[in-house]
Amino acid sequence: MAANEYYTRMGDGKRVLMTKDQILADIQAGSADAADMGGIQALDDNDVEALLEIVCDRNRTVGVEPGKEVPLTYDIGQLDFTGDNGNSGNGVDMGRLEAALLHERALGADTFELAHSDYSIKPVKPVISMEMQTMEEIQNEIVIPYFYGAMPNMGLYYAPDGPYGNPADLMREFKIEEAMDQAEKSAQALARDIEYVATKIYDAGADGFNFDTTGAAGDADAVGTFNGVEKLRKACPNAYINVGMAGESVMGIHGSIEYDGQVVAGLYPHQQCKLAQKAGANVFGAVVNTSCSKSMAWNLARAVTFVKACTAVSGIPVHVNMGMGVGGIPMFETAPIDAVTRCSKAMVEIAKVDGV
Amino acid sequence: MTDFTKENKELYDAMVAYKVPGITAAVEGARKAGMSATQIIDGLSAGMTQVGVLFERGKLFLPHVLSAAAGMKQAMTILDPELKASGETTAKKASVVMGTVEGDVHDIGKSICSTMLQCAGFDVHDMGRDVPKQTFIDEVKKGCTFCGMSALMTTTMTVQRDVISMLKDAGLRDKVVVMVGGAPVTQAYADKIGADVYGDSASETVAKVKDL
Repeated sequence: MAANEYYTRMGDGKRVLMTKDQILADIQAGSADAADMGGIQALDDNDVEALLEIVCDRNRTVGVEPGKEVPLTYDIGQLDFTGDNGNSGNGVDMGRLEAALLHERALGADTFELAHSDYSIKPVKPVISMEMQTMEEIQNEIVIPYFYGAMPNMGLYYAPDGPYGNPADLMREFKIEEAMDQAEKSAQALARDIEYVATKIYDAGADGFNFDTTGAAGDADAVGTFNGVEKLRKACPNAYINVGMAGESVMGIHGSIEYDGQVVAGLYPHQQCKLAQKAGANVFGAVVNTSCSKSMAWNLARAVTFVKACTAVSGIPVHVNMGMGVGGIPMFETAPIDAVTRCSKAMVEIAKVDGV
Repeated sequence: MTDFTKENKELYDAMVAYKVPGITAAVEGARKAGMSATQIIDGLSAGMTQVGVLFERGKLFLPHVLSAAAGMKQAMTILDPELKASGETTAKKASVVMGTVEGDVHDIGKSICSTMLQCAGFDVHDMGRDVPKQTFIDEVKKGCTFCGMSALMTTTMTVQRDVISMLKDAGLRDKVVVMVGGAPVTQAYADKIGADVYGDSASETVAKVKDL
């Protein structure tokens, strides 16, 4: 390695050597891409300089100054241990109680959650009474706030997994109006199921609910979730509700469906957070996806630009999603620690997030 | 030579506005002005390319792209009699089998790519999502000379490599252009598994394929 080169990563996790000038160029390009797509401010010179320093740090891991730490919350429950590497897990089998206590007592988690192996709202319905029992049992042992977590995952309401026509299939046949209609019906079913599952589990002692990857099936998925959160907020005024998104832009599978009078397709984090707050969320989980073909510097600069614009306007705390393929971190099953620490430090110090 | 700048702009704008009635009106206007069927198709295609770009920049969404594609299809129906009468050809460039590989149900990126290829004049056989490996081989045996495989998970991208191996085993590898794409796929991975074309986006894929 030459003196002017630095070890860094590509978006797929591959280690590469880059010069400081190359890293700087990628930081500027990544930030400019976010600014262009989101209609937001690019990072200023001070932020670019700070980001360059973080990426170019010669140490393997980096961190924030003592006293500047932020809350560390987890999604996907015990599945980060019990899932295999196709599920962002480590393939270590253990019970849900053990996983919860391990996160609380060994891994520094400030919150944790119970999750079903399918980690989706719809499959929880038929097993809700068992989930309630487990929630109650674990709440008797755990100290940190303990939520229930699941993805809205509206794709499960479409054929072949659910009762509604699949928009992807319908649109291929140019049945666009029908596709939109089916998306709207699915969103209504999702909102009903969110209210059912979340109020039941809240009754069993959950401190709140974490909606993970909201909008993964597109804009109707996001609208269904926001409507479900609204119902949940009315039913459980004191519940702690975290709405985490699926990406920096809400995919327009419907294209014109609205929440609170606003078209949801194409909204970016600084716009998404306002709808989450309006629905009744306590915390917004900003997400920016990683491009495997770009460097970590490009991805991180892009992610920080989006999230900084979000934290600047959000009326509720922003806990940025940091993990495999999000937040500038490479899309690699075992997220490299050098990337995880650099991206986390940048999010805290430059994007000013409230939590990770 | 007649200047069709105004009509070309109207065709382009109609496609970008993605409404079927607007597209057919622009086509009729261009015909009245004296544009040939192939000139009209070229004008529409330029608009469709821009639709793809706007989609990738998050300015248009999937129903809008498909509405534009429906308008293109309607335009072709209008122009077909003239094309046949004039002897102008609308022969498809090539047959393409497209699919999201087995084990993977992510459909959208592949569908956009299929639509863009169709609008670029390819005969697209879109097999949908979770497509068995053998289906790709069977379609190539039936005459597809392009094979496009999408994978959106690190656990399914290896199926692209498997299909390439199966094409080799069947003696078909030299008869087909293999295209790969999807979020975890990179140019380096495409090179590693021996694919011919890597597309970072639908429009990039179409641009690369058109140049072959």
